Amino acid sequence: MSENCALRRANVLANHILQSPHHPSTISLAREACLQYTPPEVNESYGFQVKEMRKLLDGHNLEDRDWLYGIIIQSNLFNRKERGGGKVFVSPDYNETMEQQREISMKRIMYFLENGVFKGWLTETGPESELKKFALYEVCGMYDYSLSAKLGVHFLLWGNAIKFFGTKRHHEKWLKDTEDYLVKGCFAMTELGHGSNVKGIETVTSYDPRTEEFVINTPCESAQKYWIGEAAIHANHAIVISQLEINETNQGIHVFIAQIRDQDGNICPNIHIADCGHKIGLNGVDTGRIWFDNLRIPRENLLNSVADVSPDGEYVSAIKNPDQRFGAFLAPLTSGRVTIASCAIYSAKVGLAVAIRYSLSRRAFSIVANGPEVLLLDYPSHQRRLLPLLAKTYAMSFAANDMKMMYVKRTPETNKEIHVISMGLKALLTWHNMRTLQECREACGGQGLKTENRVGHLKGDYDVQTTFEGDNNVLMQQVSKSLFAEYVSCKKRNKPFKGLGLEHMNSPRPVLPTQLTSSTLRCSHFQQKNVFCLRERDLLERYTCEVAELQERGKSREFSFLLSHQLSEDLSKAFAEKAILQAVLDAEAKLPAGSIKDVMGLVRSMYALICMEEDPSFLRYGYLSRDSVGDVRREVSKLCRELRPHALALVTSFGIPDAFLGPIAFNWIEANAWS
Amino acid sequence: MLNVSKKNHSSHNSIRNRRGRSESKWPQRLSVRILTLNRPKQLNALNSNMITRLMQMFLEYEEDPNVKIVILKGQGRAFCVGGDPLPVFRDIVIQGKSWRVGADFFSEQYKLDHIMATYSKVQISILNGIVMGGGAGISVHGRFRIATEKTVFAMPETELGLFPDVGASYFLSRLPGFFGEYVGLTGARLDGAEMLACGLATHFVPSSRLTALEADLCKVGSSDPVTFASAILNAYTKHPKLKQHSAYYRQVYNIFFHLLLLLVFEFDGYLLSSFNSSLRRLDVIDRCFSRRTMEEIISALEKEAIEKPNEWISATIRALKKASPASLKISLRSIREGRFQGVEQCLIREYRMVCHVLKREISKDFVEGCRAVVIDKDRNPKWEPRSLEEMKDNMVERYFERVDEEDGWEDLKLSPRKNLPALIIAKL
Repeated sequence: MSENCALRRANVLANHILQSPHHPSTISLAREACLQYTPPEVNESYGFQVKEMRKLLDGHNLEDRDWLYGIIIQSNLFNRKERGGGKVFVSPDYNETMEQQREISMKRIMYFLENGVFKGWLTETGPESELKKFALYEVCGMYDYSLSAKLGVHFLLWGNAIKFFGTKRHHEKWLKDTEDYLVKGCFAMTELGHGSNVKGIETVTSYDPRTEEFVINTPCESAQKYWIGEAAIHANHAIVISQLEINETNQGIHVFIAQIRDQDGNICPNIHIADCGHKIGLNGVDTGRIWFDNLRIPRENLLNSVADVSPDGEYVSAIKNPDQRFGAFLAPLTSGRVTIASCAIYSAKVGLAVAIRYSLSRRAFSIVANGPEVLLLDYPSHQRRLLPLLAKTYAMSFAANDMKMMYVKRTPETNKEIHVISMGLKALLTWHNMRTLQECREACGGQGLKTENRVGHLKGDYDVQTTFEGDNNVLMQQVSKSLFAEYVSCKKRNKPFKGLGLEHMNSPRPVLPTQLTSSTLRCSHFQQKNVFCLRERDLLERYTCEVAELQERGKSREFSFLLSHQLSEDLSKAFAEKAILQAVLDAEAKLPAGSIKDVMGLVRSMYALICMEEDPSFLRYGYLSRDSVGDVRREVSKLCRELRPHALALVTSFGIPDAFLGPIAFNWIEANAWS
Repeated sequence: MLNVSKKNHSSHNSIRNRRGRSESKWPQRLSVRILTLNRPKQLNALNSNMITRLMQMFLEYEEDPNVKIVILKGQGRAFCVGGDPLPVFRDIVIQGKSWRVGADFFSEQYKLDHIMATYSKVQISILNGIVMGGGAGISVHGRFRIATEKTVFAMPETELGLFPDVGASYFLSRLPGFFGEYVGLTGARLDGAEMLACGLATHFVPSSRLTALEADLCKVGSSDPVTFASAILNAYTKHPKLKQHSAYYRQVYNIFFHLLLLLVFEFDGYLLSSFNSSLRRLDVIDRCFSRRTMEEIISALEKEAIEKPNEWISATIRALKKASPASLKISLRSIREGRFQGVEQCLIREYRMVCHVLKREISKDFVEGCRAVVIDKDRNPKWEPRSLEEMKDNMVERYFERVDEEDGWEDLKLSPRKNLPALIIAKL
């Protein structure tokens, strides 16, 4: 293959040279009628096996992914369009009304159902079936995030709530029917007045022993359930998160099942539902609001894995402490965060594949008079805009895979670590996606504005990820707090650090060399063991120190955390970035010597160095001198030049079918031709 | 075995030209070359001589600035039934030669397919008879494919213990919906009308008009050959009706007919339901052949068969049950991978696969299939693995790997071609 490409390239060059005498320097006046599109494949060669790289990136269930790509592309339900000489594209029709987008999304889900896409999503257990579910979920999100969000509500929120909080009787009654879409579920947690602060929600449920029923009530307007995906039209059942009051004692947050519509789709008595209206993206999801007017549900509808109420109204729970009960309740939300983070990376991949393919076929300005215009990606500035984001996407892709593996193989011992890592990665990866999409959108120029070219619209659709299932800023504060707790507990008990990647804290504080050569900067030991560990360690010490000082001055612990938000922000970022670097290093270490390992080395160095260049902490806290920061910056620019020849191969390795990219990723001249 | 049509004999014409005789007298003949596959007793099965010769001619014509259109047709009742498996069978089974000898035959055939798929001049294939396997490889990749009322098309490889090769994973995967999976896995026979409807053929011309068509095509002169050929072919093409029981019918037709029949006629209930079922086939195909695995495809078909039994669905299930389980699984995977690959990558992958087939380490079904269908003709092959369940994923996986342990084995080397964009955008 690569030899073919090389030959081809030689041919193209030879033709250029041989033909040039026929077109003397009058070229600017007698320019050919039109620019010609040359596919990037013609002039770029693959320096490594893209198929092998794709296996590393996707990590699991490649055949299942390809199957789902295929059934989307081959069906007429997915707004299939032919552009530019028979090239097929699939992408939602964003010119449809909100109502139409909701209907077509549901039809697409029914088509998946018919093809057995959801088989085993709730009824099968074990790492294999969970990984398959992740893979298919990611593919859906690459077509339209509305599909993933709808499926997320139905399977991950409604379905998993029953699975994790329910007991046998609930599993038997609901799981299979949910998988077959005989029941359509939604998840009513967030309220107008309370989002990330779940403990504060105001919906109240009481128990009536005479009829053995729970009574759910929305006591005030701020208690209305808000942003409830699927509630506006499609869902007929809801998980309701509510305070439970037994004999006028608040037992804290509990989980109930309530039917909200009958089989014909009519809203049930004592329920009011309104639409959240048009959104900046994700309009295929019918987001709604729910009010409960003393709705009565059977006693069995309390999901009772943590606590139960006996028929005569007595509250029973194995976990006595309401805070611990709350913790047990939040744990399953991890799966949502894991999928959000991995979907974010696939969205960034779509953006980069489109922008980089375009930058390898679009030219602008000549640098010599009458000379040919320069390919966008041959501009160092364009490389600097896109290639570091590409390297980060690679690195985060490995981190997301590790996180998925950790999640599917979870044990009670690893739960805390997964919880902390998934919070950090969810925040960092979704932010990274938004930033990447914006850069890619701009890198495509005006073409990036067209929804058919995907990049621009992905911004609207994926923006929600930065705040749902935990606001990113809140999650990052949680990460710092968890690190703080770990630090304090180890110091108190005088025990070595274990877990959360903090083991390096047991060794002496690393010292960075004052002179940074290119080879030092690219050395994995230097990057990980020295720079990233030093930053995490120092910030953790500063943070705990600052919080402790504030506490000594009489501030409460919580208030101290709050005041230390700047260090908290720096620390959580340092933690997550280090976890990501570790994931790339692990992936790289497993590779045999060869072209893939070499490219991975470049990608990893680019990731490490761009993090160093972009984070002001290194200068602010003096880990690197001004000279060193300059060295880092020069090395980033060098790495851009070295990654440039691999740009096409790196985005091809994403394994995204052509049909999932926009027309500008291919022959954009023909795609825009008059006839 | 391969005739260059006399009336357009290339050397004859070029001599004429060099002697400075009037070009205008026969200008059309210079620009159109007609190649006729002439091995009618063997239904024009391709042997290595024919493949080499075709490759030479095609490359020569591509270089020759006079040639604008190349017409390919077959002598007798077949266009071409594909690569002849007999010499391969003889070499590697009877004479016990290395499987590499067989692989060379396939490699040459795939290279020819590649040249046609990336051909810079207009190839018109006249499919007036049987087109199977390798016959599809030398026609479907070309610019125009003419079907007639005599055309019978099939990719029957799964009953031979092989898989749809010759770039079929490229062109089958690009047929509408999941029709490609259906055609490739069941070996279903298509007629000319169906070929046209699904896009395997670009035009349909009644066989009685072919002579006149050829004569008109020869008048290309200095006009743009694609526009010219399209105009001529469009003038000759007929829009044949799909036969009532065609697999290629969509529900959309049905709704109109249904309403019409209900409104206009007091239609006999039984007739209506049978009419209905024949119209629903393409939907059934999409519903069943879209499934993830071979096992799921068969169970989906069986479910349909229970709900709405009919002869077509039973025949479809029978065909799948008769085919080699190993072949079915690798064919399905090959078509699915082909959907995202260029024709070049498809051929390279298929070459890896065929090498494993010939090497017979995972399954010997190709030899058994040839025995049952071509040699002993008992049509009762004993497949191994015997069932789909026994054909495990890791065994399927091996067909797609390089044959690395073999000394000197290399991936299929396709020569670089001039019109690259054609590689990236399908003609189909």
